[in-house]
Amino acid sequence: MTKYFHNSKPEMCKIIKIMEENEDTRTFSIKLPFTPKKPKPGQFVMLWVPGIDEFPIGVAGIKDQILELCVAKVGEGTKALFELEQGDLVGIRGFFGKAFRIKKSITHIIVGGGYGMPPLKYLIEEIIKGRTEQDEIFVFEGARTKEKLLYVELLEKWKKEKKIDFFPFTDDGSYGKKGFPTEGVKEYLNKDNEKSVVIYSAGPEKMMKILFDICKNYNHIIDIQMSLADRHMRCGFGLCGACVVDPEGLRICVDGPVFSREQLEKMDDFGNYSRLPSGKKEEI
Amino acid sequence: MNLETKIGKITLRNPLILASGVLGSSYSSLNRIYNSGFGAVITKSIGIDERKGNPNPSVFFLHEIKSAINSVGLANPGYKLYREELKILIEKEVPTIVSIFGGNIDEFSEVLEGLDDLPFLCFELNLSCPNTEKEGLAVGTDPQLVYEITKEMQKRTSKPIWVKLTPNITDIFEIAEAAIKGGASALVAINTLKAMIIDIYSKKPILGFKRGGLSGAAIKPIGIRFVYDLFERFGETIPIVGVGGINSGYDVIEYLLAGASAVEVGTAIGIKYPENKTNLFIQQIKKYMHEQKVESISELIGGAHND
Ligand SMILES: Cc1cc2nc3c(=O)[nH]c(=O)nc-3n(C[C@H](O)[C@H](O)[C@H](O)COP(=O)(O)OP(=O)(O)OC[C@H]3O[C@@H](n4cnc5c(N)ncnc54)[C@H](O)[C@@H]3O)c2cc1C
Ligand SMILES: Cc1cc2nc3c(=O)[nH]c(=O)nc-3n(C[C@H](O)[C@H](O)[C@H](O)COP(=O)(O)O)c2cc1C
Ligand code: FES
Repeated sequence: MTKYFHNSKPEMCKIIKIMEENEDTRTFSIKLPFTPKKPKPGQFVMLWVPGIDEFPIGVAGIKDQILELCVAKVGEGTKALFELEQGDLVGIRGFFGKAFRIKKSITHIIVGGGYGMPPLKYLIEEIIKGRTEQDEIFVFEGARTKEKLLYVELLEKWKKEKKIDFFPFTDDGSYGKKGFPTEGVKEYLNKDNEKSVVIYSAGPEKMMKILFDICKNYNHIIDIQMSLADRHMRCGFGLCGACVVDPEGLRICVDGPVFSREQLEKMDDFGNYSRLPSGKKEEI
Repeated sequence: MNLETKIGKITLRNPLILASGVLGSSYSSLNRIYNSGFGAVITKSIGIDERKGNPNPSVFFLHEIKSAINSVGLANPGYKLYREELKILIEKEVPTIVSIFGGNIDEFSEVLEGLDDLPFLCFELNLSCPNTEKEGLAVGTDPQLVYEITKEMQKRTSKPIWVKLTPNITDIFEIAEAAIKGGASALVAINTLKAMIIDIYSKKPILGFKRGGLSGAAIKPIGIRFVYDLFERFGETIPIVGVGGINSGYDVIEYLLAGASAVEVGTAIGIKYPENKTNLFIQQIKKYMHEQKVESISELIGGAHND
């Protein structure tokens, strides 16, 4: 029988492994109380650091009962998480949100940066698993410097095994090409415009907005799916309204975080505004 | 068949009103819920200054009892900024009720006067939020304060004033009477019930604010009882708006029979497809009216008191 993680109070789970990805990013392996119905790439959990804070984190992978979350230390809540050790408990609610929809027999272009990479890593794994002869996978990753690029070893390995093609970019040129991944995507799209393409992206919203504006001009791109994460959340299941984007009233937590081209086209807030916990609108 | 209902001078296309604090921070989600088929929507409670509310965790669902517990508190951008959301709602002709809060008469006045020039339906005074230490509950449990605030607000606006009552009190009649004497146009019952939840493994309260309020299915019988009691006592004097745990069209009917002229729905709308839920509510209300050969909502109001 498939067991579900119900949308309920946090399930207490043990941290069984902590892996340093870089200076301020770690992967936490967390043992769930049972093997749940498998979450899809793009879905997220609300992670509770007992007594401190709760925040949304995308699923970076799952194997049976072991959930993988990759977290960047940015503020109070994530800092408190980094103080926890193997054996400590965290609370998990989920799985929430709309996932990436994997299309078949096409060119998959995956573009990410920062904490957009963990869900994309999981997405790439799933595309590889279900791929056909016709599927091609191109991964464009950007970061400020070499140290900030996530999953470089893994992605280079997949590249060597001819599972994907991988194009890293850094602002300072310390690894891969100097510049932004959006430029790499543009170059690719101008070169090859025969096959149907789906763009999948997660990362800083400004970067995704630039990418979206580039991609909307190409007819062979059949869908653009972007995961919006630079938003405050409270409930995670569509009740409180903290994560709403204008003007359609879509909620990042249930109508997203992954949105389609049609949804993004109408979303005036996308790349421009987010809301503070008070509800005040602020420029991104 | 006519689903229209009247709450004093206000007429709505149907008795469904979106409760305050649920999807109420942006014009866009309020507009979305109205367009799904509601009769009107209520804003998040608005005060003077910007407030970020209480820390997370601040909302979660309790699956076993189909209910939610929250300690959002009075997170809001302040009335000066919220005006912008209201202007868009008015431009889109969304029947909007503005929920306001304050710690005393002066604070309530500033918010009310800061928004009153905009042509929305009416004000709802939140005298009853359990998630703040100063405002809300303290105000709503003191009959003298309730009387004075209602009276002063009523003097300052030509719009109807609805007073939202807390269930966290021994004698609701005293407070209701104070609101009526102060000139309230409708009584709204109920807000959330004081509640709390503790994780037995980390041995910590789960909510960031530790204490919170319960909403959803578990509180429906309590809301029904409040509305029934209020209608029995004051049904001739003032309309009542029922809130608490409504999760179907039949629950709406139950509140109408208890004495409500309209209802507010909160927790039940916080789901993936609120549009489907609204449709279902309307279908169920129509089905009941058809089966029971009821022509209009007014025939149902207080129908459980005919013994
Ligand atoms: C659907 C979703 C999935 C997510 N997945 C992941 C994930 O897989 N891994 C991950 O690490 N994070 C992820 N996040 C982001 C994560 O939730 C936040 O980083 C986290 O809430 C931060 O909490 P905090 O308490 O540490 O920081 P807070 O104290 O809440 O604030 C963050 C810090 O960054 C600053 N800050 C806030 N917003 C911005 C901004 N827009 N630009 C610049 N600075 C800003 C603040 O001033 C503060 O210092 C996801 C978010 C969403 C919505
Ligand atoms: C997340 C959340 C936030 C709320 N915020 C407010 C608020 O700001 N002002 C208010 O008067 N009531 C607030 N309420 C209470 C609701 O308006 C309503 O009275 C209560 O939830 C009971 O109705 P329900 O069972 O249909 O949810 C809030 C409820 C929830 C769940
Ligand atoms: S976080 Fe509450 S509606 Fe999205």
